[in-house]
Amino acid sequence: MYPSASVDSGPSRFIYIHLYPLHQIILKQISDIISSHRATMATAPYNYSYIFKYIIIGDMGVGKSCLLHQFTEKKFMADCPHTIGVEFGTRIIEVSGQKIKLQIWDTAGQERFRAVTRSYYRGAAGALMVYDITRRSTYNHLSSWLTDARNLTNPNTVIILIGNKADLEAQRDVTYEEAKQFAEENGLLFLEASAKTGENVEDAFLEAAKKIYQNIQDGSLDLNAAESGVQHKPSAPQGGRLTSEPQPQREGCGC
Amino acid sequence: MDQSVAIQETLADGEYCIIAVQGMLCEGDSRQSRLLGLVRYRLEHGGQEHALFLYTHRRMAITGDDVSLDRIVPVSRDFTLEEVSPDGELYILGSDVTVQLDTAELSLMFQLPFGSHTRMFLQEVARACPGFDPVTPDPEFRWLSRYRCTQLQSQLPTPHGWNSAPGTWPGCARIGGGRYPSRNGLWGLEEARSGAGSVLFGGGAVDQTGLRLAEVARGGGPLWGRSGRRGRRDEEVEEAGREMSAAAGSRERDSAGNSHFDDLRPNGKGLLVDQSSWGQDKPEDLLPRQNKSKSEITDMVRSSTITVSDKAHILSMQKFGLRDTLVKSELVQKEEDYTYIQNFRFFVGTYNVNGQSPKECLRPWLRHSVEAPDVYCVGFQELDLSKEAFFFQDTPKEEEWFKAVSDCLHPGAKYAKIKLIRLVGIMLLLYVKEEHAAYISEVEAESVGTGIMGRMNKGGVAIRFRFHNTSICVVNSHLAAHTEECERRNQDYKDICSRMQFCQVDPGLPPLTISKHDVILWLGDLNYRIEELDVEKVKKLIEEKAFQTLYAYDQLKTQVAAKAVFEGFTEGELTFQPTYKYDTGSDDWDTSEKCRAPAWCDRILWKGKNITQLSYQSHMALKTSDHKPVSSVFDIGVKVRNEELYRKTLEEIVRSLDKMENANIPSVSLSKREFCFQNVKYMQLQVESFTIHNGQVPCRFEFINKPDEQSYCKQWLNANPSRGFLLPDSTIEIELELFVNKSTATKLNSNEDKIEDILVLHLDRGKDYFLSVSGNYLPSCFGSPIHTLCYMKEPILDLPLETVRELTLRPLWTEDDGSQLENPMEIPKELWMMVDYLYRNAVQQEDLFQQPGLRSEFEHVRDCLDTGMIDTLSASNHSVAEALLLFLESLPEPVICYSAYHNCLECSGNYTASKQVISTLPTFHKNVFNYLMAFLQELLKNSAKNHLDENILASIFGSLLLRNPAGHQKLEMVEKKKAQEFIHQFLCNSP
Repeated sequence: MYPSASVDSGPSRFIYIHLYPLHQIILKQISDIISSHRATMATAPYNYSYIFKYIIIGDMGVGKSCLLHQFTEKKFMADCPHTIGVEFGTRIIEVSGQKIKLQIWDTAGQERFRAVTRSYYRGAAGALMVYDITRRSTYNHLSSWLTDARNLTNPNTVIILIGNKADLEAQRDVTYEEAKQFAEENGLLFLEASAKTGENVEDAFLEAAKKIYQNIQDGSLDLNAAESGVQHKPSAPQGGRLTSEPQPQREGCGC
Repeated sequence: MDQSVAIQETLADGEYCIIAVQGMLCEGDSRQSRLLGLVRYRLEHGGQEHALFLYTHRRMAITGDDVSLDRIVPVSRDFTLEEVSPDGELYILGSDVTVQLDTAELSLMFQLPFGSHTRMFLQEVARACPGFDPVTPDPEFRWLSRYRCTQLQSQLPTPHGWNSAPGTWPGCARIGGGRYPSRNGLWGLEEARSGAGSVLFGGGAVDQTGLRLAEVARGGGPLWGRSGRRGRRDEEVEEAGREMSAAAGSRERDSAGNSHFDDLRPNGKGLLVDQSSWGQDKPEDLLPRQNKSKSEITDMVRSSTITVSDKAHILSMQKFGLRDTLVKSELVQKEEDYTYIQNFRFFVGTYNVNGQSPKECLRPWLRHSVEAPDVYCVGFQELDLSKEAFFFQDTPKEEEWFKAVSDCLHPGAKYAKIKLIRLVGIMLLLYVKEEHAAYISEVEAESVGTGIMGRMNKGGVAIRFRFHNTSICVVNSHLAAHTEECERRNQDYKDICSRMQFCQVDPGLPPLTISKHDVILWLGDLNYRIEELDVEKVKKLIEEKAFQTLYAYDQLKTQVAAKAVFEGFTEGELTFQPTYKYDTGSDDWDTSEKCRAPAWCDRILWKGKNITQLSYQSHMALKTSDHKPVSSVFDIGVKVRNEELYRKTLEEIVRSLDKMENANIPSVSLSKREFCFQNVKYMQLQVESFTIHNGQVPCRFEFINKPDEQSYCKQWLNANPSRGFLLPDSTIEIELELFVNKSTATKLNSNEDKIEDILVLHLDRGKDYFLSVSGNYLPSCFGSPIHTLCYMKEPILDLPLETVRELTLRPLWTEDDGSQLENPMEIPKELWMMVDYLYRNAVQQEDLFQQPGLRSEFEHVRDCLDTGMIDTLSASNHSVAEALLLFLESLPEPVICYSAYHNCLECSGNYTASKQVISTLPTFHKNVFNYLMAFLQELLKNSAKNHLDENILASIFGSLLLRNPAGHQKLEMVEKKKAQEFIHQFLCNSP
């Protein structure tokens, strides 16, 4: 018994298609556009070939969700509520001509959820460890975040340290130099960024991706290894290239 | 999440996971998650085979290491995977899809998540089925041999084997683990009690209670605690039974869930596939059919393809096609943003060669312009009039004329042949300048024959292609001949237009027709004649070069004007004399006996924007045929891509799709995320509720386990419902039910556990939400160890929590050294209070210990004991009796310690030995035992009134005082008997 018969008669699993007229309309429009467009676009692989999983960690209120939002939406969320849980965002970026889909997991920063959020570290290819340059306590806690990140991810996970709220220079509580030194001592990438102005936000995500991609290229990140955090998508076979071979002729000429 | 990637990692070269879905493998009562991957293997000699790979997996499998292969089911001829639907029951919106997998060897049942992904999966599997076509060889599945050793380990169990799969149902842990009864269970109890009360003195009452007693004895619990739990279990068992039978379409309910799978299968094999449609690669034809008409099936297909419910889902679909398609359609819409118009020179020529071979150089026709054209479109008609050409579609003329054209192309440039297409005598050639070849794509050629028998050499051929960003279609047609066949010509044109269809690169898209192109160039021997003028008049006008006058009588002109043909097309002015019909080898008009009137048979028309005709002429110099060739040169504005702008536009589109994808990640709002349960008491249900309000994306939610935890929440908590499906903008109320019972009370007393938990509410393909649960527990004597209570001289609630904690953690065998604490009591004062109460009030109570108590009264008893306000105790004897039983059941260490259990059973029947065992118990336990026995003997003295006898009491107390250390497993009858017998001895013999 396959999809039960008609939409309108009797109890049916597919009754619910009535409930989504909007989606249907969108779909219809898409297919109309596609089928009726005057020029079919040349086939091009618009798709990504890798998925990188990122996690964003750091104390509560350092602006993790805002960084994510700025990166995915290019907008600043002024009054962003505390994340109580784990949120997701994705964006496709290009590194060295490769399309890469970043799948970013934004975790709750509150201490009491720490035990639970630890379970989301697994399989991350990149970790964005965020502190707030105007609050020294968030910087002081970095070593504990770093310990978690090191213990719960694989050795090749790229960790980037981000000093957020760089726009609030007047209230700065952590100098660039000391954070830079901390990053160097621990082998982390480092950037100061501002989720508010967008400064360096793009770079933070891209730098990490470049580093991960580089690790793949030079073989230090084994994609087949457990929990590399990277998925490789073999590109779907593409047809329809320029052909000059004669096509088999059609037989039907109405006889 | 795309789990096919994880599967793909485990596969060998040549194997490809087409699609994967996570589902529940239902075996008997057991539900185990499995990842189902449809794997394709391409055979070397062509063809392909499929198999279904089943994996166990971690939650949200990301890499190959998260999955491990459980078994492989080859998609053989006898393989069927079909949806089974509840027979006669309403579908529950958003409920799981139950599917039945059958092969000759095995039969499995799965529950797959509701939604389009499952639909797609089922469709893909249906497509993968080899069908019943006897022509195709049976799949051999040699490629699976590398997995064979793996498979042996998990040798397929027989269908019967599964039914007895013990205790693998995840739910078992909850039920067996002493979770509290559901509220229904508790309330059900009160109902049961009042029900029993009404027939208390009825004739059947004794039997009834007797029966209940037997149950109590078996289960080892006091009446209502037990019955509550039973209620729950029965409920679940029934539910499971219902699910099973419903899923299988069977009306027979088997509450034990032990029915045979074979019986459950609705009708054996179901996946019949229409053989005739097998050759065509259309999914709708490959769907299984079951006594349904073709139209019904088409309907089903349509409805099932619309089930794609939201864009997020589309975008996250593992078939990338759609994302590509969306990007493409957006690119088309924004084309103007990144393209500019650049003119290219097109040469278009048509020549009816009357079956002749090329005898003269074609330069005058093809090379008459100064500038080298960018594109050559050259069409011929009547290339070969021989029967061979007609019947065998093969002619040497093709090569001859192709060479003749190729040799005479403009010398100012190098040309590449893009395409040649021929239908009998109608041939079309397409060349472009070499440097443009890279910008030509999506070349397709098609032909259409028109007319009925006898005129089959008519029709059209066409080449469509894409030049930079502009789509171009060139048609060469030879329409019906003879002056009077004007209507026929119009019809031929229409037939060509409607039947000429080009495949698209994406096979999912409908074929393109001629009209769906930016530029259409139509050339050919259209055969329209000059009407209403006699031959001499025509020739005279031609001599006078009065082409305008003559043109008025041209059929094509009049037909176009009447919108009967070539609607929307343009033709340049005819400034050359008719191209038909000449005596071959001359410029003389036809002198044969037919003496055809001259006509402009050979024409070139166009349709589209940015097209400028530079010339339109005939070429009298060529005399091979009875027609003269015609040529036209155009400047055509082609949309050329500005690479920088294109990249920018593409980036914007990709970004907007990312945004859309993010916006369509399921998201809900919760009315409450912090839950505080104040002053939780033993066995007193507290409920906090909240609502989930869904956003715009339909989603499935579920409370998920935290790492290393067996359940999504602590044992004393339950979320109801703990999973479900939400439509856009809908809400659901979730109740968090907190209930502390005997298995959780002790640790809460000792502070080893706290009323603290974090629940993770997970949305499928979406966010996770954390819910915090906090609160405090009021310690109770229920669930406290005997020795702890003996040390508590104060009521438990009067003691500081720290003291309660300390005393609860005190090891059982520490005998009091007298130094730290004052003399402990001999038995727990709470026990004494209850027994004393019963001794004073209930020794003559009829059916004592056999009637259930009242729930509210139990709470009162508990509070009195825990606060020491025993003087205020006023409850029915039955309630106090039940509280006593419950107290004994709640003891973390039974009165006869676990360590002595087996000794007791062994010496049951030997009173002396039995007494010896009792004497080895820790002092407090020994005291309690003796105290209880004394009390029970006291009750037996009043057996005439209270109807109790040794057997009844032994059966009630046997299972409470003697508990199997192995826990809650069902006791064997023999063990129960021995336990009863053990107690029985002490009731019959005075100490």
